[in-house]
Amino acid sequence: MPSPGWQRFKRGPGWILLGAVVVALMAIGLAQNSDVLSPEERIEAISKRLACPICDGESVFESRNNASESLRNEIRAQVDAGVASDDQIITFIEQRYGAQVLLVPRADGVDALVWILPVVALVCGVAGLAFAFRRWKRAGGDVPTDDDRALVAEARRAGLDDDPPTDRPTTADRSATTDAAESGEGDGDGS
Amino acid sequence: MTGVGMVGASVNGILGHSALIIGLVTSLFGAIALGYATVVGDRRLLRTAPNYAWLAGVAALIAAAVMMNAILTYDFDLQYVQDVGSRSTPLLFNVAAMWSALEGSILLWLATLAGYTAFIMWRYRKRLDDPLIAWALVVMFVVTAFFFFIAFGPTDVFATGAPGVNDGPGPNPLLQNHILVMFHPPILYLGYVGFTVPFAFAIAALITGRVGEGWLMETRRWALLAWGFLSVGILLGGWWSYEVLGWSGVWAWDPVENASFLPWLTGTAYIHSVLVQERRGMLRVWNISLLVATFALTILGTFLTRSGVINSVHAFADGSIGPWLLGFFGVIVVVSLSLIAWRGDRLRSPGAIDSPISREGAFLANNVIFTVFAFVVLLGTVFPLIIEALQDRRIAVGQPFFDRLSMPIGLVLLFLMAVAPVLPWRKASTELLRDRLFVPGCVGAIALAVAVASGADKWPSLIAFGLGGFAAGAAGRQLVLATRRQGWRGLVGRANGGMIVHRGIILIAVALAASNGYTRVAEFTMKVGEPVAFDGHTFELLEVEAFSTERSDGLKAQVSIDGGQAYAPAITRFTQMGTDIGTPSVKTGFTKDIYLTLEKATEAGATEAQVKVFIKPLILWMWIGGALVAIGTVLAAFPGKRRRNPTAPTSAPVPTEPETAHV
Repeated sequence: MPSPGWQRFKRGPGWILLGAVVVALMAIGLAQNSDVLSPEERIEAISKRLACPICDGESVFESRNNASESLRNEIRAQVDAGVASDDQIITFIEQRYGAQVLLVPRADGVDALVWILPVVALVCGVAGLAFAFRRWKRAGGDVPTDDDRALVAEARRAGLDDDPPTDRPTTADRSATTDAAESGEGDGDGS
Repeated sequence: MTGVGMVGASVNGILGHSALIIGLVTSLFGAIALGYATVVGDRRLLRTAPNYAWLAGVAALIAAAVMMNAILTYDFDLQYVQDVGSRSTPLLFNVAAMWSALEGSILLWLATLAGYTAFIMWRYRKRLDDPLIAWALVVMFVVTAFFFFIAFGPTDVFATGAPGVNDGPGPNPLLQNHILVMFHPPILYLGYVGFTVPFAFAIAALITGRVGEGWLMETRRWALLAWGFLSVGILLGGWWSYEVLGWSGVWAWDPVENASFLPWLTGTAYIHSVLVQERRGMLRVWNISLLVATFALTILGTFLTRSGVINSVHAFADGSIGPWLLGFFGVIVVVSLSLIAWRGDRLRSPGAIDSPISREGAFLANNVIFTVFAFVVLLGTVFPLIIEALQDRRIAVGQPFFDRLSMPIGLVLLFLMAVAPVLPWRKASTELLRDRLFVPGCVGAIALAVAVASGADKWPSLIAFGLGGFAAGAAGRQLVLATRRQGWRGLVGRANGGMIVHRGIILIAVALAASNGYTRVAEFTMKVGEPVAFDGHTFELLEVEAFSTERSDGLKAQVSIDGGQAYAPAITRFTQMGTDIGTPSVKTGFTKDIYLTLEKATEAGATEAQVKVFIKPLILWMWIGGALVAIGTVLAAFPGKRRRNPTAPTSAPVPTEPETAHV
């Protein structure tokens, strides 16, 4: 059985300490971000955002054909010339080759839907879940009957004899046991 | 068998065609006989049903074997052999040539499906008078018949080719240089096709109106098996991509990859939410819908990638098959939705979920996230089609889009994996959560500390490493408690096996976060005798060698890493096809892989070569994670603890045996 001191530590001060350690570690981690990329890494990052103009669905980074090779050289020339921002290079390439070389759709016009719809889906999912929980709450959970309580009490007596739980039983554990009685409520066909 | 010539050729064609037509007819007869016998209660007719399954299974097997034989004996009278066969392809890749294009893949699908149908028939041969079983088999027969039809009619797998052809190009050169092409497609198909079994039982449950937990119990292991095969198949595909394609990545969000990932997402949602129904009798409509979605997505994915609507690097396009697949997809959706609507009254389940902070609440959150994930992947895959249809304009939706959206989704899933396993059913107090999550939280902090010490420095990856540790801690906690209580049995059963799967998935997530965020790349023109240094390693070109085989010649650069063993990235020119294929060479390690590709080399004996170096951290753990997923799935399929003890903490396995469910 774990000591009561440890139990108390786990429930209060421990978490404050843990939170502080995590925040500190995150701060140290983010502070060491130097953002220095080798020219190849910049070329890689940019070429991953561009589609190979003559093949289907491959990025310039993955593709091994001549068209992509010349695009890579184009990017390399821009990087070597010291163009500061990746977006500038992308825009430059887009002007020369057309919008179909962009692998990331722009967020304007109809194309913006590809960014908006996932958010809409998430909002719908979460709202649906919230709605379901509200309805369930209104319906009220099943209240255990006296028979259920008797069954649980008996089972608990039997359980304590041969199989002591290693977790200290808590309120929630106890409430979890009530559904032992309810799991028999399925229609029980075919089994 | 070589030198059979013209006579042998027609034999293969005739044998193949006959096998397909026999399979088609017997599957249809099987469906009709079984359905009719069940409706009118004709027990004698019912007893004949297994014969149809055996016959269809044998027919599919013969069709596949005939094609394999035709490829291996160079029967160039068949169109498919002309497409993918070649006298100069080594045996291993000749076997794999079977599934290197559309027609052969359909045969592989068919053989797997007919095999599943026969196996299900064998498994339940003594319970055919149970309408649930009978209707499930009717559905399996119908799906099998559809694929026999696709193979026989629209695809015409055994079509005769142009006369006088004596040799062919062989499979795509990319499919000819790694052993994984032998394993990735069959294993993927075992998973892909395997979801037909739980789908068939779900439809049977709707037809018979026995929408309770009975059918779930029957198909629990089948769903798990299909999920395991699909997971392993997808990972093997990633491994192949890494070892062969030369851009050092495992996943490109290519439409074909997405087509396999979509059913995986809905299937994963299903194997979690099914637990809520088993335990609480709830979510009946939802679980059936997830299975229908999973199965329908395999068909839709096949339509998208095999009909030429979307082109991708490894889509095999064929115009004739598209309308049929799309029609079949429509039938599945309409029939399933009508059945669900028809059984609406029975599907309403009793009970309520009390609190969002509970095991079932976590499963629901998991389901919302996985469904949104599937929606995002589907949207990104078909969005160019929508734009082209609406505005006649070509756009591309590629890797950066998927990466950007899947990153936050992945982080939320990691968080759920950390919290969900310690949650009890019904309701949890914050006190309990604080208590149970403390040690996993510490593990997360340690993981974060290790990541920071090894140089992690960006928001998403720091969070991923921390949450990965947190989730691994939570899974570990459950396993420790279970093994302490039950000994070795604490590792088997669904809940415990599931925790092992979780650890595998966490390893994969961490490996992805590390390799996506911290790959270092540089390209060098290496000269013999002049080592170059990059990221703490030195690379020295030793020599440029030429090599040649019957059908290809190429150059490889011997590059010594850190003055030690030499690795030899190569460029191979397949003379017949005129294409150059680069072959990377990888030094594998537990902390990082060093991945070399040859970009340019002039000739044998040249003193310089252009070599690209990728340093990829932790990538090996992705494959180790895949092995854990496989092991965990097998352990999860084992029966867990026999007797349910209601006072055991919630880390105990969820009751799985029907007899113990009715305490």
